[in-house]
Amino acid sequence: MNFLATLESTAFSEWVLTSMLGFPTLIALHSVGMAIAAGLSIFVSLYLNGLLSRLAQEHLPRLLRLAMLGFFLNLVTGLALFVSRGADYITNVTFLIKMSLVLISAISLGWLRHHLMELLTSSVNLYEDSLSRRVSLISIATWVGAIIAGRLIAYVGTLY
Amino acid sequence: MYLDKFAWLTDTALAEWVASSAVVWPMLECIHFVSLCFFMGGLFVIDLRLIGFYRNVHSAMIKQVLYIVLAAFSVNFFTGILFFAGNTYKYIDNPAFELKLLLIITAGLNALFYKLRLSHLLDTTQVTGLSVFVGYFSLLLWAGVIVCGRMITFFAR
Repeated sequence: MNFLATLESTAFSEWVLTSMLGFPTLIALHSVGMAIAAGLSIFVSLYLNGLLSRLAQEHLPRLLRLAMLGFFLNLVTGLALFVSRGADYITNVTFLIKMSLVLISAISLGWLRHHLMELLTSSVNLYEDSLSRRVSLISIATWVGAIIAGRLIAYVGTLY
Repeated sequence: MYLDKFAWLTDTALAEWVASSAVVWPMLECIHFVSLCFFMGGLFVIDLRLIGFYRNVHSAMIKQVLYIVLAAFSVNFFTGILFFAGNTYKYIDNPAFELKLLLIITAGLNALFYKLRLSHLLDTTQVTGLSVFVGYFSLLLWAGVIVCGRMITFFAR
């Protein structure tokens, strides 16, 4: 907690909290990153689960790579937002639920991309791999859960 | 803009419902955000084809994705109207909201241009300078829509 309090007292945290370019810009970019990361993960899952006509399989890991870029944007902006009020966030239950779901989403995303790349190099048809399908469904569920929890941070607890 | 002409919405039963409890507004926001992800994901799939990220796609698949994109847009449009009705004065004379509407209209015209002049490319593996421009422009415009949407709160009177 002392560490979080130290972070909150930095000039950067002050900038995030008081500048018009700080919190609003970071939260806006955070939403763009969310739409890219979750949006592309959702569509890869729709392809893998046969809910859309097939996209050539070599493109699926490429789409997930873009999703990872979206996630990276979220990670950077999310950390900057966290630094400004870390001690408050860390005690907010909704935030902790969101972070747990984001962690599962991120692991699913990274694992799925790695797994699909491995299947491609061993000439296995990605569309016939049931493990990928299941993990991609977990990914959809956790992204949706994380987005809902993220929105509710503003309403549950005393952060805002 | 002339959004003050819609101030009468605040007196409707719809507005009353949106503002009626502590649950409705957050619930609508959750729907708006989840739908946004479906929208942007589908948009990426289509625009990446225009850009040439991949070329060998079936036009039937793009059509399926387009239906999802349109459905997600409809959900966001509808929830957006509910937000506007429920807290009209947050949106009137709000530069972030006005810019968001302007960007949505521009993105709509960009999509119309794609439909009229470029959709035939989907039956080929061709990518043109114009299709690359339209694809990137679309992604940029919609990213701008998200940014402006998030900024509305900070520019409210």
